[in-house]
Amino acid sequence: MTKRVSKLARREFLKVSAAAGAVGALGTSGLFNQAFAASNTVNFMAWSAAVDLVKSHVAEFEKSIGIDVNYANAPWANYRDNIITKFVGGAPLDMMWVSDAWLPEFVDAGWIAPINKFDNLMKYNDEAEDFCNDSMTYKGQQYGLTYYTDFMAFLYDEQALKKAGISSPPTTWDEVTEQCLKIKAAGISEYPLMLALANESWLMNFLAAMVYSHGGRFTDEKGNAAMQSPTEGAIKALQWVIDAVHKHKIVSPACVEIGELTGLKAFQSGNHAFALEPKYRMRPINDPKQSQIAGRCKQVLMPSGDNGKHNTVGWMRFHGMSAATAANQAHAERTAKLIEWFGGRANGEYKFQKYLFTDIGAGFGVKPLFDDKDVQASYNSYADVDMIKAQQALALKSDVVTPWYGEWQETHASAWQAAILGQASAEDAMKKAGDKWNSLKKEFS
Amino acid sequence: MSENKPSLKYRLALRFNYEARSAGLFILPVMTVLALVAVFPILYSLYTSFFKLKLTRPHQVPFVWFDNYVEILTDELFIESVYRTVSFTLMSVVAILLIATMISLLLNETFRGRRFVSAMILIPWAIPTVANGLLWKWIYDSGYGALNGLLKQLGIIEKYTVWLGDPDKTIPLIANAFVWKEVPLAAILILVTMKSIPADLYRAAKVDGANVIQRFVHITLPSLKPGFMLVLIYETMMAIRHFDLFFLLTEGGPADASHVVSWQIYVETFRNLSFGTGSAMSYILAIVTFALAYAIIKSLGKRI
Repeated sequence: MTKRVSKLARREFLKVSAAAGAVGALGTSGLFNQAFAASNTVNFMAWSAAVDLVKSHVAEFEKSIGIDVNYANAPWANYRDNIITKFVGGAPLDMMWVSDAWLPEFVDAGWIAPINKFDNLMKYNDEAEDFCNDSMTYKGQQYGLTYYTDFMAFLYDEQALKKAGISSPPTTWDEVTEQCLKIKAAGISEYPLMLALANESWLMNFLAAMVYSHGGRFTDEKGNAAMQSPTEGAIKALQWVIDAVHKHKIVSPACVEIGELTGLKAFQSGNHAFALEPKYRMRPINDPKQSQIAGRCKQVLMPSGDNGKHNTVGWMRFHGMSAATAANQAHAERTAKLIEWFGGRANGEYKFQKYLFTDIGAGFGVKPLFDDKDVQASYNSYADVDMIKAQQALALKSDVVTPWYGEWQETHASAWQAAILGQASAEDAMKKAGDKWNSLKKEFS
Repeated sequence: MSENKPSLKYRLALRFNYEARSAGLFILPVMTVLALVAVFPILYSLYTSFFKLKLTRPHQVPFVWFDNYVEILTDELFIESVYRTVSFTLMSVVAILLIATMISLLLNETFRGRRFVSAMILIPWAIPTVANGLLWKWIYDSGYGALNGLLKQLGIIEKYTVWLGDPDKTIPLIANAFVWKEVPLAAILILVTMKSIPADLYRAAKVDGANVIQRFVHITLPSLKPGFMLVLIYETMMAIRHFDLFFLLTEGGPADASHVVSWQIYVETFRNLSFGTGSAMSYILAIVTFALAYAIIKSLGKRI
């Protein structure tokens, strides 16, 4: 009897082992993933932002369109690592949020697919901001629809300017210097301009806003380094910051250790008259519950340098489709419907982008929403919608988004900081950054 | 002679008797787990270090022999980061040894409230590393930090000073935060050694007319060598590999002022996703750490 039980148990064990082996083999050979992809469920991965809003929008999609969605999210801090691990491991992934900064490396690695063949997605380009369409385009192909967009804004404390007898905000960087010196002389603020230049993910946006508004660029049309050019590069912008810290003493020498969030809090506490901040920060700055300068924070077009035209840097995140999904026509179409539901119109309106804006203040990348009454009312409660529209139209796509961006930025950030600390001249710092760029470009091509 | 030699079967049976086989069987699960979670990853990372493996370029993974190692050892930034690591390690370990010895001398005495003082001294050690980092970030902040507030109230500085943002101060300030956290453990290790010194030695020295300083120099210090060696090896290894405070306080900056080897490994592996060079750097760091520990044991071990 015992022997028989033992035999049965052994048979059972063999069956389970065989099943496990088959599943493992399927997984290894990719059949498992294909089987997963072929199911009716669309796997959607995002970072942990507006989670409740996403969930309700997904639920509405499932109800209206009749396609199931498997939604998962991960914190922004390790989202890139998380999603790359999934791509490399062949995990089921159909639609995902992608940052414009990752587009070239994701495309070159063969992880995401263009959406050009989906007319139901491409038709939204006419209503989208140009720099959003540009930011989602790589090597002539478009890779998604906008999820959120924003730009670096120049903000000022209206009361500080009035106290110093300044009637209108600055329009050029020279005027910023003059006004800061007046404010400093009046004893209103020791360091009137707040710049947060700690080496963190925000740094490149601050630097790009300074460079673009000075009329400079980091790269030329061929993608070679131009930052070291004395006339069209980044040297003028960097020199302005160096002078602001050491010569005029209008920017704190601690700016190299101040992160975006710390800088925001310092501006909210009334320590500064001017600040460079992402536009969506205007909402908390003008919120009396969170800020001591509520109602006093205004926006003006980014000051311009010698060749500048009030340009700033814009950035965006988009809904993309995985290359594995695109290979399966039926599943790709299901996924495209979900992309449209989030990035395009859902039941005739840009619902998700609108709610994302009204709920958490995240910027949208479609022009018709500027005419939406709810959006206008929301914006006008803490900002000037016309000013936002005007600055957004002057936002430029970052010209350093390449597969080697991350590696280059380590050297670039360090070069800016070294120059600000007086360890290198602006010319030497930008030459070092430019050399690194060209060497990486060569390595990657 | 050959007739007397036991057969191979007998010798094997003798060597792997029942007890040996049972012992082997019992430790087999642990050995298997260790092989899977420790030995395999270590060997796999060595294997990885010979490839140009970058996660974002999955289709180009060439075998490059020792190229990653050569690239690292000829990289100017890596050499600079080695100097910074050495500087951080030296100032941290020396400070830890000095302060921990003084504390253990204090705790070795009998006085009222000794237990309370001992408990208080242990607090930094009990604080989690991340909390320790955040605490010092607040203390050192140039805008609202406690250090500036204290120094200004004491009249030592006229206006707030930039601390972590000043490249000349960055490494010493991080070392200070590291020392604060590590001193309690070092003090305990030295105190334990101190407690093992026979009291007879001190009594005999007193009879011979040795004063306090002579007793400390000729009895206490030489007897503390085993404790010192333990602290020296442990704290040197901890300092060389230390990452947390560099991540929490400065992220390698400002400029490259706190760009130490452990930070470079992090950047290379987890920001650039270059697992090949990241693994090679980790191996270089591990080899250097082992070599240092071996050198310390060899040089001090003989004299104990």
